Amino acid sequence: MNTRLVIEVAMIGLRRLWHGKLELLLTFVVPVAFFTIFALIFTGGVGSGRAAKIKTLLTDLDGSERSKDVMSRLADSEAIRVVEGRNAAGPDALDVARDTVVRGQATVAIVAPEGWGDSLRTGTPGKLFVLADSSDQVGPKVMTALVQETLGKTLAPPRPAGAPPGMAPNTPAAAKPPPVEVIDLFTAGKANPTISMYAAGIAVMFLLFSATGSAGSLLEEEENQTLERLLASRLGMTHVLLGKWLQLWLVGVGQVVVMFAWAQLVFELNVVRRWDGFVLLTLATAAAAAALALALAAACRTRAQLNAVSVILVLTMSALGGSMVPRYIMSDTMQQLGRVTFNAWAIDGYTKLFWRDLPTQELWPELAVMTASAAVLLIAARVLAMRWETA
Amino acid sequence: MPSLAVDNLAKSFGERRALDGVSFEADEGQLVGLLGPNGAGKTTLIRCLIGRCRPDAGTIEFFGRPLPPRGGRERLGFVPQDLGIYPDLSVRENLHAFGVFHGLRGRRLRERIEWALEWTGLADRGNELPKAFSGGMKRRVNIACGVLHDPAVLLLDEPTVGVDPQSRERIFTMVETLRAAGTTILLTTHHLEEAETRCERVLIIDHGRVIAEGTVGELIRQTVGSARQATIRLAHPVAPEVARRVVGANGHGQTANGHANGHSGPRAGGPTNGQANGHDPLVLHASVQSVAEELPRMLGVISDAGGEVRDVEVTSPTLQSVFLHLTGRELRE
Repeated sequence: MNTRLVIEVAMIGLRRLWHGKLELLLTFVVPVAFFTIFALIFTGGVGSGRAAKIKTLLTDLDGSERSKDVMSRLADSEAIRVVEGRNAAGPDALDVARDTVVRGQATVAIVAPEGWGDSLRTGTPGKLFVLADSSDQVGPKVMTALVQETLGKTLAPPRPAGAPPGMAPNTPAAAKPPPVEVIDLFTAGKANPTISMYAAGIAVMFLLFSATGSAGSLLEEEENQTLERLLASRLGMTHVLLGKWLQLWLVGVGQVVVMFAWAQLVFELNVVRRWDGFVLLTLATAAAAAALALALAAACRTRAQLNAVSVILVLTMSALGGSMVPRYIMSDTMQQLGRVTFNAWAIDGYTKLFWRDLPTQELWPELAVMTASAAVLLIAARVLAMRWETA
Repeated sequence: MPSLAVDNLAKSFGERRALDGVSFEADEGQLVGLLGPNGAGKTTLIRCLIGRCRPDAGTIEFFGRPLPPRGGRERLGFVPQDLGIYPDLSVRENLHAFGVFHGLRGRRLRERIEWALEWTGLADRGNELPKAFSGGMKRRVNIACGVLHDPAVLLLDEPTVGVDPQSRERIFTMVETLRAAGTTILLTTHHLEEAETRCERVLIIDHGRVIAEGTVGELIRQTVGSARQATIRLAHPVAPEVARRVVGANGHGQTANGHANGHSGPRAGGPTNGQANGHDPLVLHASVQSVAEELPRMLGVISDAGGEVRDVEVTSPTLQSVFLHLTGRELRE
């Protein structure tokens, strides 16, 4: 065995890696970048160790000293972020609480019903209600435990002086703590909420991957003079770009339809029931993804550059936007950051349709953002492609 | 009226003048060769002609009507040097796409596709993908996509690069049918013999200017002259004065340089007398106006001096001689 030959083969590979700066970037920088993104997702910030807080609406219909005390203690908890401005009092308060959870503005609503404080003085204390959105598989469970713990602390009488630790106070309330009832506002007749979330998340991620891959044909055509030839015919650059966008859009729509059809067939996600919203959202999502892919292709100089940039961008968008891990486990900052991605808007939109059962009109923010993004990115692609036009 | 008339075309990229007042004309049904070393301005000229490059000055007229910088080129055809087709579409699909891009529709499009398949000899392979074809077949598809719309003027950029002689012949048979039908063809090529044998007129461009234009015969007469090049190979060296008498007897001869083809460089045929320093003493080169009269006399001088001739070669001046004479460079430099 001639080791010199083996070493030379290895050296060739290392030299080529050194000369290929993009490959070098993908090898060493991108993994660190992704580690950082996931560290931020799960810790809330560099070195902060902060976990995601549970969006909670506190609805005190009772208004007694006890209920105020419980609500106050819950509001002070590190684990929750109180949703402000929705805790209306009066006869509509319960509907407001329900609506807030259904729309996803809060993960849970803690409701102290009227007369709850008085019931504590009887032998049969009334229930405290937790209205929950079970698409968040963590928040409602944590909140239920937290409410029970808070009730225990709030309602426990002062320990007699000199009493040994662990000795339970002899009061009716302590003997029978008030029950907490969790009401899941969504589960009736629905598939697992993660199905629609992951169908959307994975579909958008692969929509972006396949769109950026296909958009690379623009660079190939530029390299092998096909573009020169096309532009020497009756085609203008606008025709070329719109044609490619149309192709990417149609393929993208097909991809999402296939993904959700599979979800309906195998996982019993009822897509057909909300076909109108599904069609609108899918058209907008695929339009935005296709435009992003074209803009990237027009911005890159070579196919290799496009491949590297698109892998980095799509994985970053997918991580931040909730295609890889649910956004509800991210900190508020990361959740807000995720709003710059199509993934987040698409997942939110499909969740509104298939989980929250909101009317189709409620999709307007998602539709507006993705349609506007598609338009802006198409204009950007057109401007960037001017470099291929007449010198 | 010429099909294509270019007048004083100029284009600069920064400080570099890619085209510096190019002028020429091409008549209907004429096959014009466009020659020039790399960087001479050929590509810029073609890009101006197809509307992909906006000239700084000058005009391009198409059948007497000035062409705008962009558009208005419906009857112009362009075949790029690279294979500007879709290798993963079938031949028929490629033809359909480029036909549509050139404005063909419906029955006319179908007719032209059938014509192109017959013309390229690929009628039985129309549904196959070009990526599986030989280089020559791919080239034929490449050309067909540029002529589907029956252009009046066709710009062919290196249509035979990288193909075998048989395929090249096939391609030129195709080109000849276009020319015979009245299509004006501007052929860019690096094959000098191709330009010499195929083109009615040749245009040599260098440093952004047309430095020579005419038929091959005209160019030879205008540059290197019509003298033949005689190459005499000796069995053993002759005395320098004998060599000078052999080549000097003709008044414009030159001596050995070791080049078998007899063209010593940009000054081939120039008046360099005597046996050149360091050159092969067994080879003598001389320009001869009359082979019948001068060659026997030269051989006689050698024989009288006791020399022995191994071989004699007489070659006519070629386009390559002209090219070297004018540009001082090999075509592929």
